[in-house]
Amino acid sequence: MTDQIREQVSALLDGELSRDEIGLLVRRMERDPELRRSFGSYSLIGETLRAPGGLTARPSFAARVSAAIDGPESGRVPDVPAAARSPAFWRRPAFATAIAAGVAVAGFLLVQPSTTTSPTSLVARPALVYRAAASPTPAQSQRLAGYLVAHSQFSSPMGRRSVWSGLLAADPSLQRVAYEIQDAP
Amino acid sequence: MANFPPSDGSIKPREPADDDSRPTAGVEQSDLELVKRAQRGERGAFDLLVLRYQHKVVKLVARLLRDPTEAEDVAQEAFVKAYRALGSFRGDSAFYTWLYRIAVNTARNSIASRQRRPLDYEADLSESEQTAVESRMRHTDTPEANVLSEEIRSTVNRAVEDLPEDLRTAIILREVEGLSYEEIAAAMDCPVGTVRSRIFRAREAIDRNLKPLLD
Repeated sequence: MTDQIREQVSALLDGELSRDEIGLLVRRMERDPELRRSFGSYSLIGETLRAPGGLTARPSFAARVSAAIDGPESGRVPDVPAAARSPAFWRRPAFATAIAAGVAVAGFLLVQPSTTTSPTSLVARPALVYRAAASPTPAQSQRLAGYLVAHSQFSSPMGRRSVWSGLLAADPSLQRVAYEIQDAP
Repeated sequence: MANFPPSDGSIKPREPADDDSRPTAGVEQSDLELVKRAQRGERGAFDLLVLRYQHKVVKLVARLLRDPTEAEDVAQEAFVKAYRALGSFRGDSAFYTWLYRIAVNTARNSIASRQRRPLDYEADLSESEQTAVESRMRHTDTPEANVLSEEIRSTVNRAVEDLPEDLRTAIILREVEGLSYEEIAAAMDCPVGTVRSRIFRAREAIDRNLKPLLD
């Protein structure tokens, strides 16, 4: 750890860093317990100089707070507006994977047989694809709905809606299932 | 060293900076930036707010409760409540003002619940004896906490006394007088970068003395 970084920690305590610098330093400090220790110690020095006497927090206090926040009872993210959370949410791998998979299945099931397709290529395709595109059977609809229910646990309402809208255009029989899933929390 | 504060009012507080590349205008803006990051899910940012205010909050709660044995538990509860309610913080007041209110309410709730709590020794003590015991409990600081606080105070003071004059002046103007780097630079007639470096070196020197106590 260089003195330059520690000097930034000192300046952070005094509110003398730019927002960009704060962002970089916070991420660095998350990984570096020694930098966090320095920050806590600088803070204690200031508090002692300003108001000598009285009780101060023990060195383990901040770690205790962190553990309490992470604990089973308290381990909730801050109750923040959805708009503030959405950028991070969009970057979640599970979300991206679920959407990609959903779109892939939708495309797979909705593909229309081309009139110019040769008989041999039709033979090579799975029979299910052709039948689903033409007229999905109740069993296929149920299977598809089951798939989307499973994915709904990993995707946002917006993501589910986009997949459903594509499917509903092709199969109105899925509408009831779609509404039930979209209304779920 | 230049006289401080200047009588001509030549040192003006800076206007809040909107440009990301400029320093934030003081601790409040810096706190606000950390809060915004914590609201976006950066736990590290909230941890820094805890590190910054832990001593203030513990000290405040200890004074309100008049029972240092519970002060850290109640202060911890206040920080957890603050974390959970972070989404409702809009920045209308300073973060510490908001945290201060939470800490005061948490301490008041703790006092109220302690008054409702039946005491184990209730059946064995008369009313006057109970009052005496409770009073003694409230007023008796834990020896361990007191010794540590006293050692910290004397170590910090001794370390500050030992600092070279330029470092000592810079840290006192910052921590005791609450001046910004720009204001200190004007007072000490040196560049802002020098002020930043002096304050850092002062803190490092004090920290070297303090570290054995805190490890």
